[in-house]
Amino acid sequence: MKRIGFRLMASIFVMIMSLPLFAQISGAEVMRHVFERPTGEDMQATLNMTITNARGSARERSIMQFRQDSGTIEKKIMFFTAPADVRNTSFLSFSYSDGRSDDQWIYLPALGRVRRIASDKSNESFMGSDFTYDDMGARHPEEDNHTILREEVVDGWQCYVVESVPIVPNSEYAKTVSWVIKDEWIGLKKEFLATDGSVTRRLVIDAYEKADTVWVITDMTMTNLRKQTSTRIRMNEVSFNNNLRESFFSERQMQIGPRT
Amino acid sequence: MHIIRTISSKSLFLLLILLILTSMGIVAIAQHARLETDLNEYMPSTHPAFSFSDESEKLFGITDRILIAIEHPDTIFNAGTLEKIRDISLDLPASFPEISDDGVTSLYTAYNITGSEWGMEVGSFYGPDIPSSAESLGFLREQVVSNEMIYGRNISKDTKASLIIAEVDPESDVQDLQKRLINYAESWEGPETLYIAGRPIVEGALAQLGPADMARMFPMVMIVMITVLLILLRSVRDMILNMVIVLVGIVAAFAGMVIVGVPVYAVDTMIPVMLIAIGVAYGIHMHNAIHHEVLKNPDIGKQELVDAVLKAMVRPVFMAALTTAIGFMALMTSQVLPVRYFGLFSSIGVMTEMLLALVLFPASIYLFGVPRTGLTAKTTSAQQPMVRMKRNRWGQFQMRKPGVSIGIALVCTALGIAGTMNVWIDTSFLANFEKDSDIVRTDTFVNTHFGGTSSLNVILSADREQAFKDPEVLQAMDMLQRNVLEQEVVGNAFSLTDFIKRMHKVMHADDKSYSLVPDSQELIAQYLLLYEFSGDPETLESVIDYEYRNANITFQLKSDSSAVMSEIIGIIENHEERFEELGISLKYAGSGYKAFVFSELLLQGQVASLLLSFVIVAILLAMLFKSIWIGMIGTVPIAITAIINFGIMGVFDIPLSSATALISSIAIGIGVDYAIHLIEHYRNRRLEGNTIEEATFSSIRHTGRAIIYNALAVMGGFAVLMLSVFPPNRQVGTLIVLNMATSALGTLSVLLVAIIALDKRGLFIRTDKTSISHEITSQEESIV
Repeated sequence: MKRIGFRLMASIFVMIMSLPLFAQISGAEVMRHVFERPTGEDMQATLNMTITNARGSARERSIMQFRQDSGTIEKKIMFFTAPADVRNTSFLSFSYSDGRSDDQWIYLPALGRVRRIASDKSNESFMGSDFTYDDMGARHPEEDNHTILREEVVDGWQCYVVESVPIVPNSEYAKTVSWVIKDEWIGLKKEFLATDGSVTRRLVIDAYEKADTVWVITDMTMTNLRKQTSTRIRMNEVSFNNNLRESFFSERQMQIGPRT
Repeated sequence: MHIIRTISSKSLFLLLILLILTSMGIVAIAQHARLETDLNEYMPSTHPAFSFSDESEKLFGITDRILIAIEHPDTIFNAGTLEKIRDISLDLPASFPEISDDGVTSLYTAYNITGSEWGMEVGSFYGPDIPSSAESLGFLREQVVSNEMIYGRNISKDTKASLIIAEVDPESDVQDLQKRLINYAESWEGPETLYIAGRPIVEGALAQLGPADMARMFPMVMIVMITVLLILLRSVRDMILNMVIVLVGIVAAFAGMVIVGVPVYAVDTMIPVMLIAIGVAYGIHMHNAIHHEVLKNPDIGKQELVDAVLKAMVRPVFMAALTTAIGFMALMTSQVLPVRYFGLFSSIGVMTEMLLALVLFPASIYLFGVPRTGLTAKTTSAQQPMVRMKRNRWGQFQMRKPGVSIGIALVCTALGIAGTMNVWIDTSFLANFEKDSDIVRTDTFVNTHFGGTSSLNVILSADREQAFKDPEVLQAMDMLQRNVLEQEVVGNAFSLTDFIKRMHKVMHADDKSYSLVPDSQELIAQYLLLYEFSGDPETLESVIDYEYRNANITFQLKSDSSAVMSEIIGIIENHEERFEELGISLKYAGSGYKAFVFSELLLQGQVASLLLSFVIVAILLAMLFKSIWIGMIGTVPIAITAIINFGIMGVFDIPLSSATALISSIAIGIGVDYAIHLIEHYRNRRLEGNTIEEATFSSIRHTGRAIIYNALAVMGGFAVLMLSVFPPNRQVGTLIVLNMATSALGTLSVLLVAIIALDKRGLFIRTDKTSISHEITSQEESIV
C-alpha cells in the first residue's frame, strides 16, 4: 500500500514536470530557434542522394551544391556530377523571405539552354525524392501552431518533442512531431502523422557535426511509410563562409559549371 | 444388387436419411458456400504468362481502372462542371476505400507542363479555385486543347465530356463496388450526365446479372420440365422421383464443394444444367423399366417387380453413370482450376443421381406399391399400337435403309465440321450484355469519346540497364505505338516516349514540330531528370522502372473481346524483330491480357479433355461389353453431337467461351448414357435369343422411348432459357436443346444402324444360334 502510494506520487511528479505548462520555453519559440539557427552566409557541399523505391531499386545522384543567404534572398545553385548522362545539368533557385514564390532556372547541357521553371506545386517532391521543398527548409514556423509535448533524451541529447499543426490544413499530413536538441536547435528526428495518428513519413538524422561553429546534418534519411520508399542524403566536404561571388548564382555560371 | 434391394426395402428409413442429408447439405451450402468473383482466382498463377503479368503489374502499378465520364450538353468548360470534377476527384478516395488517395486522375489532379519562350511552367490546369469568368474558362480550354497528354485522353475532342480515372484495389469486391459507384454517380448528375465504365464495372455487373438471371429462369425451367415429365410419364410419383434425384444430385455436388472448401466459380452454374439433363435420364430409364415390367405382367408383386427392374437396370445405369463420371473427370486435366473442380463435382453429382435412381424407384415400389401405370395398359392400348407401329416403322426403316441414316449423319457431320471452322473463340465480358443495356451504352459512350475502356500493356524488357534512354529504342517504341494506333479499335497509347516528346516540345516553346523523340541520349536523360524535378515522378514510374531496363506501353482498346486482343497482339508481334535487334524482348500484361490467355488455356484444355474423354469412354465401353467394336461405335453419337454442337455454334455465331465449351461435355454425359442403354438392351435381347429384328424393335420400344422422353423433358425445360434476357444463358439454352436432340437422334439412328451392321457381320455378339428361345419373344409380343 505504502509502496504503491510512493510510485503514484513519483509518476505524478514526473508528469507534472514534463507538462508543457512548466516548460520554460514555448513550442513556437523552439521552432523559431530551429528556423533561425545560423547556417553561415554561404555554404558549399557535395550531396549524395540515394532514392530507393518500394521494390528496393535505388537511384544515386551526386550534386555539388552552393548556397548564399543575404537575409532576404536565399540563393542556391546545384550542379549534377553523376550519373554521367546528366552531368553538368544545373539548377538555380532564389527563395525570398517576403513570401514571394521562388524563382527557378534549369540548364540542360544537351539542350545548351537555360530555361526558367515556374511551379505552383511547392509542397511537392524535391527532385523526385521523398523530401519536399518544405522539408528542405522552406517552411516558415509561422505556418504551424507548435506545442511542446514532452522532453526526451535522444542520442544522449536532451530534446524537446514539439508537435506542429498546420494552420492551413494540407492533404499530406495532419501534424508533425519534431525532436529538437535543447539549446542547440537542431532537429534529430521528425515524424509526419495522418489524421488517424499513423506515421506517414519519418525523417531520421544519422550523422551531424559542427563545422565552422555551424551545425550541419551530414546524413539523413526520409522514409515514406505508405509508399515504402526512402531517400538518403549524405553531405560531404561541407564548408562555410567561402565568400562566394554574387555572380556565382547566375545563368552564366549554370552553363560554366561548378568552378569558382 | 442385393444391397440396393435391402436399402430400398427400408423405404421410410431411407427417405428419412435422404431428407436429413439433403437438409444438411442445403444448410451447409447456404451457410458456407462462397461465390468467387475475383477473376484472378480463376487463373493458374504459376503459368508463365500469368506470373509475368502479375510481376509487371506490381512493377508498374498496373491496376484495373474505373472510368467516370462527365458529360455536359454544351461543354465542360463551365464553373459548375469544373467544380464537380474537382469535388469528385477529392471525394472518391474518401467515399471508396478501394480507391487510394493518389489513385485518381482527372483534369483537376493532372499536371500541366507548358513551354514558352522563356522556359517552362508546371502547374495544375485549375484549382483549388474554380475559373468562372469567360476569360479564364477560355484560357483553360486553350491549355487543355494544346496539351496532348490530356486532350483526347481525359477531355473528349468536342470538350463535352471529361474523364475521371480511378485505380481500384485489385482485391476489392467488384460486385459491391459496381452497385455503390452507380448510386454515387447518380448523386452527381444534372445538368451533367455521368457514365461509369471500366473492367471492374463490367465484371461486377456480370457477376450480378448472370446468376440473378439463372435464378429467375431456373424455376421456369423446372416447371416446364415437370409439366413435360407429367405428360410423358403420366405419373406424379415418377415425376417427383425424377425431380428428387436431380435436386439431391445438385445439392450433393455443391455440398461437396463446401465440405472440401472450394468456392463456387462462375462456370459452376453449368453444374445444375448438366445434372438435370443427366439425372432425368436415369429416372426415365428406371421408370421405363418398371413400366415395361408391369405391362408385361400386370399382376406382378412388389418384390418380383423390384428384382426384375434391378436385374435389368443396375448394370446399364451404373455403367452409364460411371462412364459419364469418368468422362467428366477428364476435365481434371485442365490447367484451369474452376474447370477441374467442375469436372470433379459434376462427377460426384452424377454418381449421386445414379445411386438415387437405383434406390428410390424400388423404394417407391415398396412404399406405394406397384405403380398403376401397368393397369392402364388396356386403356392406353388404343394409342399403343400406333406408337408401336411408329417405333417399328422407325426400326424397319433403320434396318432396311441404313444408308439413309448414315448418309444424313455424314452430311450433318460434314456440315458440322464446316461450321466448326467458323467457330470463333471469344471471351468478351461486354458481349454478355444486350446491345441496348446501360452497361453497353456507357461503354460505347466512353469508347467513342475517349481512348477506350479496355487496355493492353506491352512490357518491354532490355538485356541492359539504361536501355530506355537510348534514342533508337525509344524511336522503335514510338513507331510501334503509331503503328498500333492506326487500328480503329485502339484509341490511345501511353508510354515513356510520350513524356519525352512532351518535354522536348515544352523546352522548345511548345513548338509542335518538336513533338518527337530527340536523337541525343543525354538530352533524353536530362529531360527525364527535369520531369522528376517538376514534382511528378510517380507518373513516370508507371511507364519505366528505376533502372530503365523495363518499360510499359499501355494501349487503350475500344473492345474487350479476346479476338480483338489477339489481332492487336499480332500487329505488335510484327515489331518483335526490330526490338530483338535492340536487345529487347516483348511481353504482355494486364487483366485484359490475362483474360485472353485464360480463355485460350480454357479452350485448349476443354478440347483436350473432350478428346481424352472420348478415348476413355471408348475404352470403358469396350471393356464393359468386351468388344473393341462396341467401344468404337459407342462413341459415334457423342462425336456427332459434339461436332454438330460446334458446327451450330459456328453457323449461329455463338462464340466459344468457357460456358459454351462446357456444354459440349453434355454431349459426352448424355451420349454415353444413351449409347449404353441402347447397347445393353439390344445385347440382352440378343443374348435371350431374339433375332436382330426383334432386338431392334424391342430396343426402340424400350430404350428408344426412354431416350425420347428424356430428350423431350430436358429440351422442353431448357428451351425456356432461350427466352432469357441474358445472352449467355440464351446460348446455353439453345445449345442444350440442340445437344439433346442430336444425341437422341444420333443414338437411335446411327448407333442403331451401326449395331445392326456389326451384328449382321457377327461382330456384335457371339451368339449361339441353338439357344434362341422364341418363348420369351412371343410372350413379350403378346403383352405389348
